[in-house]
Amino acid sequence: MHKPSPTSTPPVVQAGFQLPDNYQVPDGHWDELRGCDLWPKFLEHLGAQGLNVLDDRLQELRRQVNDNGVTYNVYSATDEFERPWSLDVLPLLLDATSWQQVERGVLQRVRLLEHIMADVYGPQTLIKRGLLPAALVQGHPGYLPAMQGHQPIGGRFLSLAAFDLARGPDGLWWLLAHRVQAPSGLGYLLENRILVSRQFPEAFEDMRIQRLASTYRALFEGLQARCPLAEGETPHLALLTPGPYNETYFEHAYLARYLGLTLVQAGDLTVRDDRLYLKTLSGLQRVHGLLKRVDDNWLDPLELRADSTLGVPGLLQAIRSGQVWVANTPGSGFLESNALLGFMPALAREVLDEELVLPAIPSWWCGEAAAIPDALRQLSDGVIKPTYPQEGQRSSFEPAMGRNLKPSEHDAWCARILRDPEAHTVQQWLPSSYQPVWTPEKNAPSGLQSRAVVLRVFAVTDAQGQWQVLPGGFARLSAQDGYTSMQRGGSTADVWVQAREEESVSTVSLLNQGHPHVRRERHVTSRAAENLFWMGRYTERSENTVRFVRVALDVLASQHQQQQGLMDWIHAMAELQGLVPSEVVHPHQSPRVFERSLVSGLWDVQSCTSVSYNLRSMATCASHIRDRLSPEHWLTLEQLQELFDQRTAAIPNTAQALHRLTQVSQLLAAITGAQTDRMTRDDGWRLLSVGRHVERLDFLATALELAIEYKVLDHPSGFESLLALFDSTITFHAQFQQNRSPQALVELLVCSADNPRSLQWVARTLRSRLLRLQHLGSGATRMLADWVTGTNPETLAPSVLWPEGEEQPRLLLDALAHDREVARHVSDGLASAFFAHSESASHNVSL
Amino acid sequence: MKLSVTHETTYQYLHPVHTAQHLAFLHPINSANQRCIQHQLTIDPEPHDVSHSVDAYGNHRTHWSLAQVHDHLCVRSVSEVHTYELEPHECNESWEAVREHFRYRSGHSGDPHSAFVFASHHAPIHPTFASFASNCFEQGSPMVESCVNLMRKIHTELRYESLSTDVHTPALQALEQGHGVCQDFAHIQVACLRSLGLAARYVSGYLLTHPPEGQERLIGSDASHAWVSVYVPSACKHDCGGWLDLDPTNDRWGWGSPGPDYVHVAVGRDFADVSPLRGVIQGGAQHTLEVAVTVQPIA
Repeated sequence: MHKPSPTSTPPVVQAGFQLPDNYQVPDGHWDELRGCDLWPKFLEHLGAQGLNVLDDRLQELRRQVNDNGVTYNVYSATDEFERPWSLDVLPLLLDATSWQQVERGVLQRVRLLEHIMADVYGPQTLIKRGLLPAALVQGHPGYLPAMQGHQPIGGRFLSLAAFDLARGPDGLWWLLAHRVQAPSGLGYLLENRILVSRQFPEAFEDMRIQRLASTYRALFEGLQARCPLAEGETPHLALLTPGPYNETYFEHAYLARYLGLTLVQAGDLTVRDDRLYLKTLSGLQRVHGLLKRVDDNWLDPLELRADSTLGVPGLLQAIRSGQVWVANTPGSGFLESNALLGFMPALAREVLDEELVLPAIPSWWCGEAAAIPDALRQLSDGVIKPTYPQEGQRSSFEPAMGRNLKPSEHDAWCARILRDPEAHTVQQWLPSSYQPVWTPEKNAPSGLQSRAVVLRVFAVTDAQGQWQVLPGGFARLSAQDGYTSMQRGGSTADVWVQAREEESVSTVSLLNQGHPHVRRERHVTSRAAENLFWMGRYTERSENTVRFVRVALDVLASQHQQQQGLMDWIHAMAELQGLVPSEVVHPHQSPRVFERSLVSGLWDVQSCTSVSYNLRSMATCASHIRDRLSPEHWLTLEQLQELFDQRTAAIPNTAQALHRLTQVSQLLAAITGAQTDRMTRDDGWRLLSVGRHVERLDFLATALELAIEYKVLDHPSGFESLLALFDSTITFHAQFQQNRSPQALVELLVCSADNPRSLQWVARTLRSRLLRLQHLGSGATRMLADWVTGTNPETLAPSVLWPEGEEQPRLLLDALAHDREVARHVSDGLASAFFAHSESASHNVSL
Repeated sequence: MKLSVTHETTYQYLHPVHTAQHLAFLHPINSANQRCIQHQLTIDPEPHDVSHSVDAYGNHRTHWSLAQVHDHLCVRSVSEVHTYELEPHECNESWEAVREHFRYRSGHSGDPHSAFVFASHHAPIHPTFASFASNCFEQGSPMVESCVNLMRKIHTELRYESLSTDVHTPALQALEQGHGVCQDFAHIQVACLRSLGLAARYVSGYLLTHPPEGQERLIGSDASHAWVSVYVPSACKHDCGGWLDLDPTNDRWGWGSPGPDYVHVAVGRDFADVSPLRGVIQGGAQHTLEVAVTVQPIA
């Protein structure tokens, strides 16, 4: 068995570049900087200023991370949302020779993993021959009896595998773990490469760094090649994500967009007659292949965890019947056990007749009685790791470092291991190598620091079924405490692999390759459709509410508070929109109390009508359709969230609140701009637009109705308030100067065909959007469009709608009531035609 | 013995169901103890497509989906099964030898039957089960005798009470409260055997019941039944394949089957692997359920 030698000093390779004196790597760890002769060359490319340029590069990098909205969700709770992606500016550099060991080792190991899968779900000879303990297969919750006997398309169980490696003090790479269920990193890795290579374009070119695009293409083509197609079909691939609350959702959306896969959640899919389908606005569309990021046990509530809402009932049956290709085949989770590492050398000898090229960290599974004495001897220098994940009947625990244990704890662990030996695996501790990182000046200690590094590399199968190793990777750097874990606040780095002398460097760059694949129409899933519609409604609702509160606060702060009608109108509008509690004192009695109530209500997280709630709802809808939003669009949404974050401060005073509302309005304007100009105008966008116009129609009609009822227009100040609420002040005065007749107002706010805030214009737009959707929902949208008639300006002139001298214009009030009715009818009609089944709850019945 | 079994399950949904996926284990398996001569499954509403397959444990698995709106589901399974009695088998292996058989030792061959040693959702491993069983498994005592003693202990110490538990009652709770139905008795015994390191599985099936003297057999008054099967390695060459069946509800046992009046439908780690009918439905928040089972001898 290979063993990492405990202390060997890395050779010092340093050519003409002065390293800072304080750059240190702890004793007994390999130094990536001094140990790799690519570093002098890389550092030379920084130019005359040397390391000092890194401050600017890092700043630029962070700005781009922020601009691109790269995030990692630390907590899965809905209110603790996202954290910016942490990426260091310096890449991990790997020369061609050390990469060769990695590449050969990974290719060999992935062949072995594939063989184990095929044997376990087939004849189980490895168990019978005693090469694989049943406790690590049938006793592992990742083994799925439901897949026993399954023969995957093309005989392949795995399409993708990830390997975590660390470099020992001897400069050799050691395997720490493999991930095959739903390995993460391929999306972040892409983003890391694009951002970091952009900071050092000359070095990247000059050092002959291997490109990644062709391996991503191979993965895509490999998935495509295994799709079971009926005659005349083109492959349709989707990426199954648990959804926006998953910690790595960003990369699901990113990878889906890059590879050209439809990003789907369980609710988007349904199984009919053993086939998998996507529920779209235009009916069911067959899905042939699924790249899954949902853990196996959650994939199918019919056969696996019945409580799972992340899975598709019937999916396993569809897989077994060969009607859908899923990467990787469910049931590979047992391969991820730490305990399995110790069995691999013998398996390689028996199965492949080969010795392993890439050694794994020495591991002792305590379930084998003969291994216990060795394991216990290793305890004080080693790491105690769980054999099983926390799942099903198996319990798990946090790994423990032997050398950190007090004598009493040490004894407690021994007793614990002997009580349940199968659950425990002891591994030798490997001092991993240290990678240079750049810490900005304001941090102490600043400058060039070093961090422990773990390298994740990926293997994928191409269309011919051959394995390829992605020539790059995803480096995770420890936080200062030495633990490499994203959850504990570690960072990441790009990985640059040098091409061998005889290899030519592919010129296909990630960026210009873009969507490398067949152009296909984008499906609008029923769930995306509903989220788009509601995003439209919440955006408009937020804009209207914010505008109303600003108008109301202006009025309350002015001398117009003496006007009974205006006060009544503000009170009625605020109450109707749920902005103040119904028992609040009338503004006429105490404008100050009412104002406080209005301001504090803005931040009310309990209420489902507050501005804060509307903004959050808008962001929630947006997060479900993130793959359709431009990074700028998403960024603005995030800024809005921050601005209205409940935890940031106490309730502001009125002046501060007004300032905040102004900022919110500006961001909302940017969002509506992005919705209008930055989104593809497909059926999904039309639904968003329908949502906005439905909301606008209802709001404006209500506001005008109440204004008439409370005789707001009798006074210039009321007249101006209403114009402001319709966002039509400037247009009105340009057209009618100081004429404040109700007829002029009706002309602009009701009949105008040019003012986007006139009811006539809103109704017309709504109708034309619905007509563009008439091919959907078997005529339902056509019928809805016919409902939206609007006010005919030819037959109903302003003077007819509101005859001069009349206080309660009957025709106009009827028209407004009709508009409100239209809004409600369209909303209900769309819900029953398109959204009825998209989110409705499933129930498990079992007998 | 020739037996006819009719098993009818009807769900009435209060609100219409839009789509449904169902999985059924209703087709009796073949073994040395029984032949399934005929089996007919009728599903109403009629699904577009029904697929049949064999699962990891050799059971017949039936899957179908319903894409039309429906307010009821009626599944009727009619089977004719011929059962046989096997030769008795002598076996003096100690229970500790059996436990050792399942322990992994590098370089020694492994036994895939170990799949039934591990804890499962309804039959977990727990010290309470081990200590409940301990006086039946004394040092050096023979495997078969110990298992039969455990079955008797469950039969005498636990009270059979219909409807006293449901499918979600954990075995540990049933043991602690001291009563349950056949399903609980089976799960308790499986859990006890596993907690001692032995391989045990759950059997779902039927038992021929006898109407009281002088009365007619009531159609539909029977129920599906459940018992236990434990693996005895030294009997693997016997017709039963090494499986000793024990029915703690009725204090009956035998190689391959507790008796010719038993019909095996499916075997698994616990109820969850072999529940006769399950489904995931969309819509139909509430439902009523009726189950009618009739087991009759055929002349």
